[in-house]
Amino acid sequence: MNLWKEFSKGFVKENPVFIMALGLCPTLAVTSSVTNAIGMGLAATFVLTCSNVIISLIKDLIPSKIRIPCFIVVIASFVTIVDLVMNAYTPEVHKSLGLFIPLIVVNCIILGRAEAFASKNKVLPSILDGLGMGLGFTLALVVIGSIREVLGAGQWLGMNVMPLAYIKSPMLVAILAPGAFIIMGLLMGLINIVNKGK
Amino acid sequence: MSFITQIFTLAVFAVFVNNFVLSKFLGLCPYIGVSKKIDSALGMGMAVIFVMTMASTFTWLIQQYLLIPYNLEYLQTIAFILTIASLVQLVEMVIQKTAPSLYKALGVFLPLITTNCAVLGVSILNIQEDYNFLGAILNGLFSGMGFTLVLVLMAGLRERLDKAEVPEAMKGMPIAFVIAGCMALAFLGFSGLNF
Amino acid sequence: MNYFVKLGLVLLLITAIASGILAFVNGLTSEKIKANKLVAEQEARKEVLSEASRFEKQTVTLPAVETEPNPLKNKVEAGPRQFIYYLGYNDESAIVGYTFVASQYGYSSEVKTMVGVNLDMSIARIKVIEQSETPGLGANAATADFQGRFVDMNQEQLQVDKDGGAIKSLTGATITSRAVTNSIAEGMKILADAMTEEGK
Repeated sequence: MNLWKEFSKGFVKENPVFIMALGLCPTLAVTSSVTNAIGMGLAATFVLTCSNVIISLIKDLIPSKIRIPCFIVVIASFVTIVDLVMNAYTPEVHKSLGLFIPLIVVNCIILGRAEAFASKNKVLPSILDGLGMGLGFTLALVVIGSIREVLGAGQWLGMNVMPLAYIKSPMLVAILAPGAFIIMGLLMGLINIVNKGK
Repeated sequence: MSFITQIFTLAVFAVFVNNFVLSKFLGLCPYIGVSKKIDSALGMGMAVIFVMTMASTFTWLIQQYLLIPYNLEYLQTIAFILTIASLVQLVEMVIQKTAPSLYKALGVFLPLITTNCAVLGVSILNIQEDYNFLGAILNGLFSGMGFTLVLVLMAGLRERLDKAEVPEAMKGMPIAFVIAGCMALAFLGFSGLNF
Repeated sequence: MNYFVKLGLVLLLITAIASGILAFVNGLTSEKIKANKLVAEQEARKEVLSEASRFEKQTVTLPAVETEPNPLKNKVEAGPRQFIYYLGYNDESAIVGYTFVASQYGYSSEVKTMVGVNLDMSIARIKVIEQSETPGLGANAATADFQGRFVDMNQEQLQVDKDGGAIKSLTGATITSRAVTNSIAEGMKILADAMTEEGK
């Protein structure tokens, strides 16, 4: 039961984006479409899980003084692997995520979990923690991405979901930079209300 | 276009049109996290300008004289982030020894900068946009200035906001995001500038 | 001091292992990444000139143009420029049209368009193959709607409506529309010149 808790805490209770406000840059930058949101979310989940595994394996071997640089090297290696593999097998998604794939390195969620969880726990809980947090991150991205794509383009995953008249002149601001900030703010406010009501 | 015009264009684009925070979404964590007081925002901004300029300089040199000649471009991410991390550490030590008063002002912000994606972002963009040595340094400098500008503006707004009546649920971060959205709208007006 | 040497060695060891793994992955993927680009271009070529089943590469050498160098960017190699186009053949080995890639800097990225041209020098179809323009504005250049606006246009009509041409530009993205249109117009001109020269 305890393991399930490690896995599920990232979804809602400790959601990295909405509750802990980590990893904000990719959250806002890549959510102009749901496809990008899923691509980014899964890439980050992969890096997070793998680096959690490696770090929990080698945590006793590295002196604590240089643990942060060591963590960064491990994370950066996985990011590069994701970068190369995505470029080879999903070139379209790779292109539209662009700069934000190498920037997974400085995504505070990943270094944060490495430092706060993986460096103190065994392998299995670390895997579950990484998967849970990663999926929580993906979930948040998909929620924001859905709102922005439906409002801003009248589409969801590239399919038309709004009346044709709406698609012709959608609420463009939702897909542009300002919309990302405003929607993020409103969503956080909404979550505050929900949490208060409990 | 003359030399001066080119530099001016680069500055206007980096600070206003392609502002790192508001149009490229880089460096959001410090933008939301360290914008509660003008003083600390200014300190953070100065530290970021400094580190971004230094990082642009060194990562450009590493890319041109180490990674490209030996066909190691795939090590770019790992090389850049290590350079930035050690650079920040070095800067911290040097400032601590030589200028204690400056260290007092910037010290707390320096370690945070390693994970500021604006620094890694500008280093990679310098390479992608094909800047030469001077261009890379200036781009780092101006991008940092753009970051500082919006950070300080935001801090000013949030100081006033403390006195405003904000709905309970929107207090703190949510309202900060909405304000950032309004600022981004204003900055959107700069797009399409032409020289 | 010994302690610091140990720290350095540990960090060095980890970095070395990481670099080794990355070199291995790079070796696995680099060929595929290169091949992807060629396959994507070949497919785009077929898409914009659907009657053709086989393509043959042609090169035109253009005189060098003096462009003022940007003092802040790396120097571009001077010298004659090359324009590459493809002759499209159908199953009976008759020429049915031409394709080329038009490219120009748009609002925030290089916009590359694959252009299919009929024998009468009107556009068969176009396909934007590379861009990272603003989502919702310039990125709409890759939609079927915008690309459809180019079908059957000839060289004189190739200008956005704001400049007096026949191409209706994208809402809020005149710069991107202009980059696509002007780059195609430029390529069409070079292609037409090459054809008349061959006809002589």
